[in-house]
Amino acid sequence: MREEEVEKLRGVVRDCVTKHLYSSAIFFADKVAAFTNDPADIYMQAQALFLGRHFRRAFHLLNASKIVLRDLRFRYLAAKCLEELKEWDQCLQMLGDAKVDEHGNVYDSKDVNVMYPDEDGEDREINISSAICFLRGKAYEALENRAQARLWYKAAVKADPLCYEALECLIENHMLTGEEETSLLSSIQFGPEDDWLTSFYSCLIKKNDAENVVEGKFIELEKEGYNYNHSDPSFAHTWKNNTDLLVCKAEYYHQCGEYQKCFELTSALLEKDPFHMKCTLIHVAAATELGHSNELYLMACSLTKDYPEKLTVRTPSFFPLCRALSWFAVGCYYYCIKKYELSRRYFNKATNHDGTFAPAWIGYGNAYAAKEVGDQAMSAYRTAARLFPGCHLPALYIGMEYMRTHSFKLAEQFFMQAKSICPTDPLVYNELGVVAYHKKEYDKAVCWFEKTLAHIPSALSEIWEPTVVNLGHVYRKLKMFNEAIKTYEKALTLSTRSVSTYAGLAYTYHLQDNFAVAIDMYEKALWLKPDDKFCGEMLAIALEEGAHRGMDPKLEYR
Amino acid sequence: MSSKESCRTELRAAIRQLSDRCLYSASKWAGEQLVGIELDPAKFTPSNTRFQRGSSSIRRRFRTNEITLTPIAGVSYVSTPVMEEDDAVDGDFYLLAKSYFDCREYRRAAHVLRDQNGKKSIFLRCYALFLAGEKRKEEEIIELEGPLGKSDAVNRELVALERELLMLRKNGSIDPFCLYMYGLVLKEKGSENLARTVLVESVNSYPWNWSAWSELQSLCTTVDILNSLPLNNHWMKDFFLASAYLELRMHNDSLAKYEYLQGTFSFSNYIQAQIAKAQYNLRDFDQVEAIFEDLMRNDPYRVEDMDMYSNVLYAKESFSALSYLAHRVFLTDKYRPESCCIMGNYYSLKGQHEKSIMYFRRALKLNKKFLSAWTLIGHEYVEMKNTAAAVEAYRRAVDVNPCDYRAWYGLGQAYEMMGMPLYALNYFRKSVFLQPGDSRLWIAMAQCYEKEELHMLEDAIKCYRRAVNCNDTEAIALHQLAKLNAELGRAEEAAFYYKKDLERMEAEEREGQNMVEALVFLATHCKTQKRFEEAEVYCTRLMDYKGPEKEMAKSLLRAIRIARSGFPSTDVEHFPP
Repeated sequence: MREEEVEKLRGVVRDCVTKHLYSSAIFFADKVAAFTNDPADIYMQAQALFLGRHFRRAFHLLNASKIVLRDLRFRYLAAKCLEELKEWDQCLQMLGDAKVDEHGNVYDSKDVNVMYPDEDGEDREINISSAICFLRGKAYEALENRAQARLWYKAAVKADPLCYEALECLIENHMLTGEEETSLLSSIQFGPEDDWLTSFYSCLIKKNDAENVVEGKFIELEKEGYNYNHSDPSFAHTWKNNTDLLVCKAEYYHQCGEYQKCFELTSALLEKDPFHMKCTLIHVAAATELGHSNELYLMACSLTKDYPEKLTVRTPSFFPLCRALSWFAVGCYYYCIKKYELSRRYFNKATNHDGTFAPAWIGYGNAYAAKEVGDQAMSAYRTAARLFPGCHLPALYIGMEYMRTHSFKLAEQFFMQAKSICPTDPLVYNELGVVAYHKKEYDKAVCWFEKTLAHIPSALSEIWEPTVVNLGHVYRKLKMFNEAIKTYEKALTLSTRSVSTYAGLAYTYHLQDNFAVAIDMYEKALWLKPDDKFCGEMLAIALEEGAHRGMDPKLEYR
Repeated sequence: MSSKESCRTELRAAIRQLSDRCLYSASKWAGEQLVGIELDPAKFTPSNTRFQRGSSSIRRRFRTNEITLTPIAGVSYVSTPVMEEDDAVDGDFYLLAKSYFDCREYRRAAHVLRDQNGKKSIFLRCYALFLAGEKRKEEEIIELEGPLGKSDAVNRELVALERELLMLRKNGSIDPFCLYMYGLVLKEKGSENLARTVLVESVNSYPWNWSAWSELQSLCTTVDILNSLPLNNHWMKDFFLASAYLELRMHNDSLAKYEYLQGTFSFSNYIQAQIAKAQYNLRDFDQVEAIFEDLMRNDPYRVEDMDMYSNVLYAKESFSALSYLAHRVFLTDKYRPESCCIMGNYYSLKGQHEKSIMYFRRALKLNKKFLSAWTLIGHEYVEMKNTAAAVEAYRRAVDVNPCDYRAWYGLGQAYEMMGMPLYALNYFRKSVFLQPGDSRLWIAMAQCYEKEELHMLEDAIKCYRRAVNCNDTEAIALHQLAKLNAELGRAEEAAFYYKKDLERMEAEEREGQNMVEALVFLATHCKTQKRFEEAEVYCTRLMDYKGPEKEMAKSLLRAIRIARSGFPSTDVEHFPP
């Protein structure tokens, strides 16, 4: 065969790969490699084998060639084969033992003499060492060495900011706290043309800032397109309608408790891109919060249909996550209609499919907690806390479980831990306030509750009514009755259906000897909850005391 | 007051705009007022006017002061220009949506308008969504708690509507109708202050929407709130104030306003019914009856407010008239809460309390917020001695409107029956605060203070005194005052009240045990005070009665004679008071 014929065959192999005709690719690549024995052709053959899912054969081919330990590409591909074969230890061995420090800087002293033929392609390439770091991370994660995995993922992102997969793993699996995420992002050296990526990444990570800061980030990114192309209006690209970005926005709405807004956004997005995983997850979560059980039912049904249990075809690697998600949706549906036992079963199923799916673990705990089965709830939360060190919710929920059993000391410890992971979640401060209240440290409680209200990202809404009521209770305990009344009244503007607001208000007026108003308020509380013992008894007392006061002077001289 | 002709033009335009937006009850109200404007006598011959409507004898009979046609000093009426429509021709989508709306397919209507940005379309979409939410809420309550259950079901559209309307208002692109909608949503959510502000904005820019005014009125629970509203002057404001005064129990102010309004809207049935309502609260039943007789003649198929007429007939026990009314509304429309209340009253007067309760319950099934039905059902249960059910009913009544003194009074009565005077006292106190001119309430409160558990006689006396001041028709208060004072050893005061009571009984030509008691006390008292002549008069009157009193009078007279003849009185003649 002449050289040009060989070159033509190489072209055929490349074309077969792009057309996904892997068997043909393998056949022709084999012929080329046999003819030339050129390492580049062997690499091509191995690549074709890999794509054709003949992992063991590919690995053998690579291993048999002499070059495998010297050429990084060979080594990486061999490791990839081992990854697919789930030979994690061998995979790590193949990648060579490098060290990584706390900040994701790599020291590989031994591998100085490896070569990496720089292919002079036109496209920008992802740094191979970044890919290697990422693969190491995956291997460590599979070996359940999550600490190492985390470091290697960090290293991967640092080696090349375009290695999005590593960042995705870090974020989706809650491996870093918000603070760590921010510092990682600031330590990455972006290329001069990657300004947009900086802002995009900053939208992806945990969004704990105030509303206007976060909104600002989004607006900045939406404008991005215009800056480039304002000279040519026909070429006005923008990320305004990019699903990933909008999903981040939806996630932020969800985090702020604006579930309706979030739900509307995700509904629209799913119409455009119905199989967007993250969007589906947020959609399901928002629907659960809003109690849209019918929506959830349909969603869960179609998800379990789209990602069935038994597949005859080969399953892509992201399938466990999809299945976990579909069982998670089923669990959410049962949670929503308050069938907690069933919901627990399906959350459990979700965790069995993908042990790293954080929402299912937390849902699992919540389903136990809803039935007040503290021990099991706690163990689910503990697992979640271990798996997702960057997520403060498990610690928060563990604290809440301790609160339920009146172990205030332990509860406080866990709340403090949650606070150190996520210092901006108002809910944590509210719980700390409640602990302080129960420990009769009222001054401290006021501080915590005020902090809660200060940390609310958007306008004060109904979901924060309990905090306002709590603050009222503390003021009452501190005998600051006027402040207490003002605070309770503020709570009433948020919700007029809370018994404890009326009871607190009544008791405060009662303590001020204002019996007429106190009686009114007790009655309002009893109207909402006729068997409230405290209000019933206090009403009787107030009536007795009030009556012996004699006639109301206001009445007499009207 | 602006001229009749301009009122007419304004109302005509308003009716078109309101019904175009499916605000049907506001449009109905405007229509009634439009026809209620007196025709210009210059243009129409007197016979023509008389032909227009039936006689309005009642106005002639009862009008006390002449109407002044000049506006109140210092008030200048800002003429509000009739609103221009932003889209003169309705879009096709709007027409379709309105048809759906008229067929009560609210969600469908809203969906048709989802991408329409005209102000009218936005309003109709919001309104349709709101109604869809309300409909669902009602259904949910029935599903969860039965038709009369109370439940905390909420309108699920409120949150989204509030957000959208808030944005519109922030942008400044909100029209008066959407403002009305926003006010409605806010009121439903319990943010009353903002709701008031928004509704004031709405009525200031578009005063002809009576629904907006009524919502605003329901949010004015005190006079201070009412007076603090920054309202533009417009003749619609007078309608508003009159009705607000009525609800705030300032009946005379309200009557004055209505009489002033009658200068222009002299044939308005609405105004007549409102006047009747005021008179009813002032307990002038004869006049209410006359007004309603007139209304029935002019508007024979009217059902609105007719339940009040039946209340009057019930109180006056005019059985035949009530029967006639009941049969009449039954044929007009038996499934209206008002008709059901009339039927309920009818059966109650016949003593068929179970049947009566059935009708009141039907009224409530038709409209769960129909206040008077709750109160009346409570009365029926009291009548049947089912206090627990009565309490529940009265509580629902005060939940609908905490200013209903009848329900508070009923609650008090029920608790008194259950032997819980402390609770009863509290409720009487509430009713008396709302209606301080009603002697029955004061007496009930006083009786509570007299109860053994409390035994606060001083306070009881205070209450009776108030009752006396409010023209106590049943004459309990004077007698009780006298008795209590005597019990507390305040002979002078006791004598004063006995004497008053006596005078009153003489004037009303009533006799009985109270009379005897008064005479005995006065005779003894005058004797001890050595006012022998007076004492003799009382004793001689006592001689007309049989029984121990007669003997007592005899011995008293004997003692007086002895005392007069200079002999020192002996301890023998000692009588218990």
